[in-house]
Amino acid sequence: MRQATPVAGRCGLGDHDRRLQGEIRRTQENRIVRMAGYIEGRNVSLTFRPPNRAPLRALGGFDIAVEEGEFLSIVGPSGCGKSTFLNVVLGLTKPDSGEVLMHGKPIGGPGSDRAMVFQEFGLLPWRTVQHNIELGLELKKVPAEKRRATAERLVVLVGLAGFEQHYPHELSGGMKQRVGLARALATDPDVLLMDEPFAALDAQTRDLMQAELLRIWREARKTVLFVTHQIDEAIYLSDRVVVMSKRPGRAKKVFAIDLPRPREYEMRVTPEFNDLKLEIWNTLKDEIVA
Amino acid sequence: MAETQTLDARVAALGGADAAPHRSLWRRIEPAAWGAGSFLVLLLVWQFVPYFVPLKPGTRLFFTVPSRVAATLWQMIVSGSLWAPLGVSATAFAIGLAIAIVVGLPLGILIGRSSLLNAMFDPFITAFNATPRLVFLPLLMLWLGIGLWSKVAIVFIGALFPLLINTYEGVRNGDKLLINVVRSFGAKEWDIARLVVVPNALPFIVVGLRLAIGRAVLGVVVSEFFGSQEGLGVVMVRAASGFQVDVVFAGLIVFAGLSLLMTGLVKLVEDRMTRWRPEHVNAP
Amino acid sequence: MAEQAIVRPTFAARYRKILLGGFAVILFFAAWQAIFLFVPFNPLFISKPSLIAAGLVDLIGSGDLFHDLAVSAVPFFIGLAAAVIVGVPLGIVMGWRPRVGYALDPLMTVFYASPLVALAPLLVIFFGVGVSGKAVIVFVLAVFPFIFNAHAGVRAVDQLLINVVRSLGGGEWDLYRMVIFPSVLPYIVASSRIAVGRALIAVLVGEFFAASEGIGYAISRFGDIFALDRMFGCILVVMVIAVVLTEGIRWAERAAFPWRTRQ
Ligand SMILES: Nc1ncnc2c1ncn2[C@@H]1O[C@H](COP(=O)(O)OP(=O)(O)OP(=O)(O)O)[C@@H](O)[C@H]1O
Ligand SMILES: [Mg+2]
Repeated sequence: MRQATPVAGRCGLGDHDRRLQGEIRRTQENRIVRMAGYIEGRNVSLTFRPPNRAPLRALGGFDIAVEEGEFLSIVGPSGCGKSTFLNVVLGLTKPDSGEVLMHGKPIGGPGSDRAMVFQEFGLLPWRTVQHNIELGLELKKVPAEKRRATAERLVVLVGLAGFEQHYPHELSGGMKQRVGLARALATDPDVLLMDEPFAALDAQTRDLMQAELLRIWREARKTVLFVTHQIDEAIYLSDRVVVMSKRPGRAKKVFAIDLPRPREYEMRVTPEFNDLKLEIWNTLKDEIVA
Repeated sequence: MAETQTLDARVAALGGADAAPHRSLWRRIEPAAWGAGSFLVLLLVWQFVPYFVPLKPGTRLFFTVPSRVAATLWQMIVSGSLWAPLGVSATAFAIGLAIAIVVGLPLGILIGRSSLLNAMFDPFITAFNATPRLVFLPLLMLWLGIGLWSKVAIVFIGALFPLLINTYEGVRNGDKLLINVVRSFGAKEWDIARLVVVPNALPFIVVGLRLAIGRAVLGVVVSEFFGSQEGLGVVMVRAASGFQVDVVFAGLIVFAGLSLLMTGLVKLVEDRMTRWRPEHVNAP
Repeated sequence: MAEQAIVRPTFAARYRKILLGGFAVILFFAAWQAIFLFVPFNPLFISKPSLIAAGLVDLIGSGDLFHDLAVSAVPFFIGLAAAVIVGVPLGIVMGWRPRVGYALDPLMTVFYASPLVALAPLLVIFFGVGVSGKAVIVFVLAVFPFIFNAHAGVRAVDQLLINVVRSLGGGEWDLYRMVIFPSVLPYIVASSRIAVGRALIAVLVGEFFAASEGIGYAISRFGDIFALDRMFGCILVVMVIAVVLTEGIRWAERAAFPWRTRQ
């Protein structure tokens, strides 16, 4: 830990939350004493060296510790390395220096314990919605019937019933994004990496999907790393929100969100919510204008 | 204002924009009607030119009319004089194309996946692809003799490069994001090829195949013009020097029919395979 | 494959391809030369790089090579120019006027698909073996790529861009200037690459048939008299010219239309 992570926000945890999560490791105190996280990034640095272009430093000493079952959001200016970091956690990219540990072991490559909802969807254009959702299961050699059953369930979950046999080019942006979400959920990973998963959705669908995501997270006890540009969304969903600096990306400040769970839609208009929003915005603003 | 409106209309027509329902039948058959009409007009004009335009005797020697060409073609079909030379030409075509496919696809995939091989092969591929195959014909005739194998070689060289280059482009063009996606779900190299690289390259390969067929037919024709004793091309050259113009045209029609038929078949396969693509495919 | 997304510093990565390619070419010629040390090939059937080089020097020194090239170049350029002048406007009209497109598209498809080179014997006999005969063959083979690509270029004009320009107050001329020309031009340049290849074939066909000069004639004559070194020399010259022309156009495409470059 080269860089202590400043923690802001209210200390102390509501009874409500404790009852719901039922786990001491979520408490503020734990975070301050910094037990080794479930996913832990230590001083992660990464420089892109595209041919015929100047090298570009995307991550410059990013520190983060995510606890098991935590919902953690990352906000930061565009191009600050958020997607890059998720790719590192996913195991697609290796950092130049620093390391990312999971369960205390370095991440060596992709694994079925993690799945990503990609920012640019990444649907295979020659596969129907159903077969796109089944992709991960197919690679895990799950039998066809089971795959179909899972896909059917998820298609309904993301509100795409009736579109099973459509090809990606026949879907709208928001629909594609929901296919990407269903695909990531299909393999039932412990860790969900979500790269602006709701960015292409309309406001109403977004609200519904947020509620759905929170339900899945609570019931299936997943760990979620959630990248978004919407401060509201980050606060509403998360246990903690990490604000990143501009490129090369570092963790600038971490905010604990001590709103009670389950989160209700009405919480978005409470004074606490708005205070937090303002505070995060002020932290983020400097990185964007500067 | 008027100007922009006409432009609007034209642009709308370009895109085949929405038509009023009662006109939709005409809308649908209009292109075909115009196409068929132009064919008909061309044939009629050609047929009746001699009645309106006085031709010089020298020119008349080179002139024929569609009815005569059709009669000659029919004659060649029923008398059987078409089939033997056509068989010879088709054999060279088939063998050359088959070897080109067998060599071109694996090599294209290999070069597409290995940047080292790609860098080393690139100058040769560029050079041989740019060069008209015909320059090698005298050399090939020297090496392989006049007959089947020099023709096969020309067909092969002609057909190989479109296949090779398109396969390679298709493999190279494999979307990095999609490769990353399947890797993130634990795909190994083989799965990547199966799930992303090959499906992505298929449309390119089919386009390559279509080009290759065109070049293969061309290869048969030209190599028979210069380096052969039998084949439909030979029949055509002999006919040309004997001023039997209808035979030349009959041969041309047969070759054209052959290449249209083959490319049509490939197109059918292509349409079946690329249902997932949006309307406008921009393969190279 | 595994390094797909894992970025490592590579020194002189940008020159790697050129270096490796050059290395492969040198290796090829060296191997060609070296193999004669071990296998006694019949010099009537194959030649080696050193002899080819000497033959080429000879041909250049005597002026024969340039004479033949000049003879071939004249019908090549005349035919190509005629193909542009006829093909481009025709293609644009076919694209802009739907009815003309409907009428001519099937006809052009049939012509494009038929091996029109089969008409070469007739054309040679009719127009003679001189410049005009060859130029006509060049025109016949080269015109269709221009028609097709100009047609495709006009059809590919983006309706959205037209609306954008018009909404910003552009008139008819602005549309041509800002949308239509820029979108058709790359297609035409691309088609010239295909057309150049077909034009080269046309010149060679014309000269193989019957000619007394020209580069195609030189190749077939050196073949007839078993002057393999000169024959190879001429073949290499044709290859170089073909590569320079097509790659030159490709380079021009990249320089002029940087937004279109794939990858
Ligand atoms: N494959 C790559 N090659 C070169 N540079 C890259 C590559 N991927 C990302 N970058 C650069 O790295 C920086 C960080 O990119 P990244 O995609 O992580 O940003 P981001 O924070 O996700 O932005 P956004 O919020 O806009 O999605 C950017 O400046 C981008 O240009
Ligand atoms: Mg991103």
